[in-house]
Amino acid sequence: MESDAQLVGRAQSGDQEAFAELIRRHSARVFRLAVSILGREFVPEAEDVAQEVFLKVHHGIASFRGEAEFSSWIYRITFHQAVNLKSRVRFRNPHADETVLQQVATLEPGPDRLVETAQREQAIAECMATLPEVYQAALRLYYWLDAGVGEVAMLLDVPENTAKSYLHRARQLLQAMLKEKGYSHE
Amino acid sequence: MSERETREAEIESLLRRSMAAPVPSLPPNFDERVLRELREDSQKRERYRRILAAGYGLVSAVTCATIMRGQGLNWGAIGVAILVPLVLVAIVPLARRASHAGLPHGAK
Repeated sequence: MESDAQLVGRAQSGDQEAFAELIRRHSARVFRLAVSILGREFVPEAEDVAQEVFLKVHHGIASFRGEAEFSSWIYRITFHQAVNLKSRVRFRNPHADETVLQQVATLEPGPDRLVETAQREQAIAECMATLPEVYQAALRLYYWLDAGVGEVAMLLDVPENTAKSYLHRARQLLQAMLKEKGYSHE
Repeated sequence: MSERETREAEIESLLRRSMAAPVPSLPPNFDERVLRELREDSQKRERYRRILAAGYGLVSAVTCATIMRGQGLNWGAIGVAILVPLVLVAIVPLARRASHAGLPHGAK
């Protein structure tokens, strides 16, 4: 199997098939990274980000000199693209609190308990939104997208120990914020 | 279990519960969609490049003609002065491509 570097070399000389192979290899991870930054309300936008990333990579591939891994380069582009989009779509974010509360309040078993759970989840979402982007992405990759620490590290382009410390620090910060809001999870 | 470990286990389970949602994935035709988009994009760029080059050539030719006419040159000389470089610009890449195509594979 050809390495990324070989495929990049072929793509730089105009081989579209080599570029298509690079897309096939990296598209799923690019999408996972994008969706981990944008969150589950913005899955279609994450798809657009993934597409936009490959268009950017195609335009810029001639200037890629291979000083870093191709994957690091593409994940860095994805991160910035998704963070930029997030700052634009944040204001479109529906206020989930009321809709969630309305939904759960109509459910049969233990509505009080469900409302309480929904409120707590809303509190978690609010606290998460105040965390640095890398912490949010690490948490979503690990807890939502079932990524291992290795994948978190690779996508965020950091060593594994740093990824572990992102997760640890993010949990600590969340815990402190939830406590401050009066949500103890015992 | 220490109190710290208990707290960590609690936030861990809280996060797992609050993020329990289906894992999204890309549609199966994503690769083709991107490749199609890339093809359309490069066609569009090529078209813009040609329009830009043609516009630039036209403006240059008109400017040169105006200046040369202002210097008193007749239209025949102006036509030759403008057309000769343009013909050369068109012929040189064609000639290069033709000689490249004539070479054996290993000689490229």
